[in-house]
Amino acid sequence: MVDLEASAPLSPIDPPAAKSRSSRRSIGVILVLIALVVLLLSQGLLSSLNYFETVDQALAQRGSLGTKVLRLEGVVEPGTIVRTNAGAAFTLTGSGDHHVFVTAHGSPPQLFQANIPVVVVGHFVSSTSAYFVGSQIMVKHTSSYIAAHPNRVRAPNGTSR
Amino acid sequence: MTRVAWLVAGKDLRIEARSRVLLWQVLPFGVIALLLSGLALGPTHAGNSTAGPGLFYLVTLFVALLMINRSQALENAPGTRASVATLGLDPAGVFLGKALALTVELWITGLVLLGGSVLVLHTSLIGTVHALPSVLVTLAALAAAGTLYGALTQGGDGPATLLPVLTLPAFAPLLIAGERSYSAALHGGALWEWWVIVVVALVAYTAVGILLYGVLEES
Amino acid sequence: MIKLSQRLLGPVTLVSLALTFWLGLWVTPPDVVQGDLVRLLYVHPPIAWVALYVSFGTATIASCLYLWPRTRSDVMDRVAYCAMEISVVFIALTLITGSIWGRPTWGVWWAWDARLTSTAILGVFALAYLALRRANDDPAVRARRSGVFAILTAINVPIIHFSVQWWKTLHQGASVLTSNGTLNVHGSMLWTMLLGFIGFTLLFFWLLRYRYRLEVKRDFVVATTVDEALALRRREGV
Repeated sequence: MVDLEASAPLSPIDPPAAKSRSSRRSIGVILVLIALVVLLLSQGLLSSLNYFETVDQALAQRGSLGTKVLRLEGVVEPGTIVRTNAGAAFTLTGSGDHHVFVTAHGSPPQLFQANIPVVVVGHFVSSTSAYFVGSQIMVKHTSSYIAAHPNRVRAPNGTSR
Repeated sequence: MTRVAWLVAGKDLRIEARSRVLLWQVLPFGVIALLLSGLALGPTHAGNSTAGPGLFYLVTLFVALLMINRSQALENAPGTRASVATLGLDPAGVFLGKALALTVELWITGLVLLGGSVLVLHTSLIGTVHALPSVLVTLAALAAAGTLYGALTQGGDGPATLLPVLTLPAFAPLLIAGERSYSAALHGGALWEWWVIVVVALVAYTAVGILLYGVLEES
Repeated sequence: MIKLSQRLLGPVTLVSLALTFWLGLWVTPPDVVQGDLVRLLYVHPPIAWVALYVSFGTATIASCLYLWPRTRSDVMDRVAYCAMEISVVFIALTLITGSIWGRPTWGVWWAWDARLTSTAILGVFALAYLALRRANDDPAVRARRSGVFAILTAINVPIIHFSVQWWKTLHQGASVLTSNGTLNVHGSMLWTMLLGFIGFTLLFFWLLRYRYRLEVKRDFVVATTVDEALALRRREGV
């Protein structure tokens, strides 16, 4: 007769390493999430979420854009603004020597002026043209705030602006 | 974890196959919603395929809400949660299983609705076939996110009305990415960027679900 | 010391906000491009700072501390809830003041750019958090679920912060917390804006303190009402 109690292993069995497995999993998940963030931040990704195309980009893609409606960003060239009954006509410049001639309908915003970046909603007249017909002008002001009366304020580096 | 996942997925799909709720209630709702979308656009615009991808995803989103609620309601049957706790089933496995079952159900619904949008909204058949991989990944991401948010709403007051409030803001990026990738497949454009968003969403929601589902199931 | 700082919190908040408004409206100069519209600089960025980082951050950290078993306590849950409630108010104010500033400067009340859209989504998330809390009566379940939801939604905050760097937006880039560490606001305008940051941050903590005390009292009333009802039932049974 076999003594079952004698043959059976009676020493306590180690419980499954649930805690270490759980912490390993947590670390794994966190590493995966970090990797995803790095992937998303990698260069050039998600450019489709851009609110506008710059003058340079739009001119480069003019052939494929055709007369599709887009938001075009550029700086208003000084001396080119002509106020019309319907709105305004002006030239937008990008970096370098790129220009787009804009005719926009509707009243421009209060801050619309020369040398200010603007975003115009509209389309090119054709896939080869640099003429752009806009239906709305938005001013994209910069994040710099400089006092209108230079003598009343000093910059943090001590220089008068 | 994977064994539990297969077990739970099999259980959910078997219940669905026997109850036929997907076939006789959810799918007809989706088809009716798609037809109503076409009617809302009118005969002139309904045939304009540019609206197709957006309407497809909007209808799929509403159908998904019904399916998420149903998926979580299966766990509310008396004794189910207690059994899961007593058996010591890995919550991460339960999450994966439920997400997997929901993915399969959403894929079936998605395929029917894609066919419907080709017929009703005149989206290009070839473009739709090209968009199929991105649609399947987007629906899998919806299932993973839906399983996680669905678990948050169960047991409280009005889970059916609470679910859209919690999930729709989270689904918004998926809706945008899915619609853009479908549109890109139809009309040309940068497809891979939107692919990246849906793949990242799928992996992120799966990872977070694996990590946090256990905390929710403690309830 | 703690009692003294608690007593001083209200008056210091009031003084710093009053100073901000006085400097912002009467002392600081107009901007060279925006003119008097720049005075919204002393209100909008500080409110957004409190909405996104201070209050939402407090709610997220308190939620993490609640979910972490070693630091789990009702205090953390209450802090998370109260901070999120205040966050809803500040997110709404951020969107409102932003719109008021956007109309004369951009020319539109609203634009679907990455910064504005992600902020609006955060506001919806914060409202959803409050809805989730109201849907559950069991305090432990409510705390656990809302804690998880707060953490899930917090991913939106870095997206909002970096949106103006990652993508081209109509919203301008950072003026203070810039990627290259430069300051784009000059002189008294800068100091007034920083005072606004301090004032609105103090206002958040002042509001949080009183909202927290209200929540403790509410919990006490609920618990007392239940106890009284139970005692009544027992007496009826005898």
